[in-house]
Amino acid sequence: MAKLSYFAGMADIAERRAIARLSHRFGFGPKPGEFKTLVDSGFSNAASKLLTAPTTDAFADNQPLPNVKDQGPRPRPNTPQVVAYATEKRAQFTELLFWWLDRMALSEHPLRERMTWFWHGHWATSYQKVDDALPMFRQNQSLRKHALGNFAEMSRAMVNDGALIFWLDGQTNTVKAPNENLSRELMELFVLGVNRYTENDVRETAKALTGYRVNKTSGDVTFIPKQHYSMPISFLGTTGVFDGNSLSDYLVARNDCALFITERLWYRFISSSEALSDLNLTKAFANRDIASLVRAIGTHSAMRDDRYAMVKPPLDWFVSVSRAFGIKPSAFSNTATIRNNLNLLGQVPFLPPNVGGWPADQAWLSTASAQFRISFAERLVKEADLSPIADLPARNRVDAMLDWLGVPAWSTRTALALRGAQRDPARLALLAICSPEYVVSA
Amino acid sequence: MDTITRRQFLKATGAGALGAAATSLTFEDIAEAAISRPLPLGTPILVVVTLYGGNDGLNTVVPVTDPIYQSLRPGIAYKESDVLPLRENLYLNGSMTGMHALWNKNQVAIVRGVGYPNSDRSHFSSMAIWQSAILGAAKTGWLGRWVETQAEDPMLAIGLGSVLPPLLAGEKRSGSVLPLGGLKLPTGSLASDCMKLSIANRNDNLLQATAARSMRNLFTVSSDITPILKAPAPAASDLPTAVGGNAGGESNLTQQLDVVAKLVAAGAPTRVWSVSLGGFDTHADEKGAQAILLGVVSEGISKFMSQMRATNRSKDVVVLVYSEFGRRVRGNASDGTDMEPLVQSLSSVKR
Repeated sequence: MAKLSYFAGMADIAERRAIARLSHRFGFGPKPGEFKTLVDSGFSNAASKLLTAPTTDAFADNQPLPNVKDQGPRPRPNTPQVVAYATEKRAQFTELLFWWLDRMALSEHPLRERMTWFWHGHWATSYQKVDDALPMFRQNQSLRKHALGNFAEMSRAMVNDGALIFWLDGQTNTVKAPNENLSRELMELFVLGVNRYTENDVRETAKALTGYRVNKTSGDVTFIPKQHYSMPISFLGTTGVFDGNSLSDYLVARNDCALFITERLWYRFISSSEALSDLNLTKAFANRDIASLVRAIGTHSAMRDDRYAMVKPPLDWFVSVSRAFGIKPSAFSNTATIRNNLNLLGQVPFLPPNVGGWPADQAWLSTASAQFRISFAERLVKEADLSPIADLPARNRVDAMLDWLGVPAWSTRTALALRGAQRDPARLALLAICSPEYVVSA
Repeated sequence: MDTITRRQFLKATGAGALGAAATSLTFEDIAEAAISRPLPLGTPILVVVTLYGGNDGLNTVVPVTDPIYQSLRPGIAYKESDVLPLRENLYLNGSMTGMHALWNKNQVAIVRGVGYPNSDRSHFSSMAIWQSAILGAAKTGWLGRWVETQAEDPMLAIGLGSVLPPLLAGEKRSGSVLPLGGLKLPTGSLASDCMKLSIANRNDNLLQATAARSMRNLFTVSSDITPILKAPAPAASDLPTAVGGNAGGESNLTQQLDVVAKLVAAGAPTRVWSVSLGGFDTHADEKGAQAILLGVVSEGISKFMSQMRATNRSKDVVVLVYSEFGRRVRGNASDGTDMEPLVQSLSSVKR
C-alpha cells in the first residue's frame, strides 16, 4: 500500500488522540477548522481553551428564549379546550427541546452546554412524568447557571426545584407521612453515592424535605411550615433541625460528596468501565467548585491512557455531527426526523429512562442502533454543509475529514472504505460519521 | 409519548458496567432459525417478566381480612368485595381476573416474602441483586451466566426491547436483544460501503471492535426468508406513567408477549425470554395505578398461556414474574407506599 499521508506531517498520534478526547468529550466535537487549530496549539493550550468557559458567547447570549409558559391546569375531559391544550403542550415541549439542541450545536464555546447536559443526566428528571415544559425549562436554566459553579449552590437549587421535587414525589412528602423517594435519591444518586448512608438516614432525612409544595404547571415551589417536620432529626452522625437547604449543605460538605461527584465525572468523561484510579482528583473538588474539578479531569494523565475509550452517546454523536455539518437543529427541514431518530437511538433530552440517567458505552452499540445510526446519517448528510471536503480534490478528501471531524486517525479498514467513496462527498461524510473511529472516542 | 424511551438498564451508580455486549437479532434471524433448527417439543422454555419500580406485594396478594393490614393502610387497603379469593385469608388483586382463572386451574404458584438481608432500598442495587442473583457488585446476570454454560447460540436467550437487560448479561457472551420494531437493512451501494466499514481491524480497541461488529451483524442476516412473524403486534396504548414513572421498564408488555408467543409458536430455538413492564414505583396515588398495571400483567399472561395451549407447548412454558421489592405495610400520606425489601414472585406454571 502507498504511504498513508495521514501519518506525514501530523502531530504525534497520541497528542492528536488526547486533543480529540478533549474536543469530543468536553466540547461536543469541533466545528469546521477548529480541530486543526487545537492540534497546532498543543494539548495544554487546547485544554485551557476547551476547559474554560468565557463569560460571553456570541450565539448563546443572543438566542431568544423558548416560548414556554405556564399553561395552567388541564381543562376538564371531553371539553373542546382539551385539544388546543394538548396541542399547545406538545408545541411547547418541541420548542424547548429544539431550543436546547440549537444551543448545544451552535454555542460558540461548548463547555457550558456540555456540562448542562452532564448535569441533566445526573439530576435525571423526565418530562414523561413532569408533563409540563415550563418546570423542565426552569430546571434546565438552573443547571446551566450552576453547571460550572459551586456544587453546594447547585444542590440547594435542586432540592428547591419544582420539576425534581415533582418527579420524585416530594410534593406529597408531609410531616404526617414522609415520602422517602426524594431523600433516598438525593443521597444515593445525586450527592453521596449508594451505601454511603443507612436506611435510617433515608427515613430521617425525608422529614427534612417535608412541606415543599409544587405548582405542577409553573414549577413554583412553596415551603409550608405547617407541613414541615420541625423537630430535630438524627442522621449521618448529626442531630438537629433541618430543612431542604440545610440538609443539602450538610450532605454536600461530606467527604463522600467529593468522592461521588468525582466518580460521576470520571464515569462520563474518562471511563464507565474502569473505576476512578486517582483519588487525588477529589482534592480539586475540595471547595465544591465544579469548574476546578472539570479542569483537573480534563488535564489528567488519564486523558492519554489507552484503556479509557468511550462510546459517544447518541445525543453527543448527533450534536457533534451537527457542529461539523453546520446543521441548526430547529432549522432542519423536518424536525420530527431529529426527534424520532434520537428516540430510536434511545436518547432524547428531557426524557431520561429513569432517575439514574442514561447508560454508557456498550449499551449504545447494538445492531439495532447501528442501523438507526446509518439511516439517521443518511438524513443528516442531505442537509449538511459539505464544503470542507466538497471543495477539495477527491483524493484529498479522506485525509481532510480527520481534521474536519476531529478524528485522530483512520484505521486501514476505514481508510479503504472511505477511499472507495471519495468521489461522493455526501457518501463520504455518511460513512465517516458511522465509522468505529467516529462512533467511539478512542 | 415516547414509549420506546422507557427502557431498563440497570446502571449501578459505581463503575459496574454490563458484561459482554448484546447481539441484536432481527425477526428474520429467528424465523430462519425456527425453520432450520426448531426447538424440540418438550424442551423447557422460561419467560421472565420483570416489573420495574417495586410492585406492592401486599396489594397484589392481599391479606384483606387481616386487621393489621386494614388499620395500617387507610386509603389504599382493599375491601373483601374488591378482591379475588385464593385460600387461607389471601386474595388476589381484583384486576387480576386472568391470573385468578389460571390459579383456579392450579397453574399458578405464588412465593411470598422473598428477600435478602440489609436492603438499601435502592431500585438500582435491588434490581442488580435480583438480576445477578449475587449479593454485592456483580457484572453478570444469573441467566447470562447460564448462557455461558451452553453452546454458543445467539437465539438461546432473548430480551425484548432495544437494550440488553442485566439479567442476560454474561462476561464473555450475553443473551440477545430483539427490537420490537424490527430492523431495516441498508441496500445497494450503501450496504456494500457499510460492509467494508464494518470489517474487523486489529487496531480496533474493544469498543471500536464492538461498534464494527454491531454493524457487521446487520449484513450477516439472510434477508430472503419470508418472515413468519412480519405482522406487527398491535401497539398497546401508553400505560399510566404519570405516577410511578421513574424507575425504568418497557411500557408495552402485551406487545412484547405477543411477539414471544408468535416466535415460540414458530419453533424458535430460544429457551429463555425476557420481557418487562415499568411504572410500579407507586409512591403516590398507588391503588388505581397499580391495579391498571397488574391488570395488564394478568391479561397479558393469561392471553399468552392460552396462545401457548394452541401450540402444544403450554406444558413446556414457565412464566416467572418478579419485581425488585415490595412496599411498606404502612401507607404514606400520598396514598402510596414507600419501599420494603420483600419480593413476591408469581409464577404461572403448567408442567
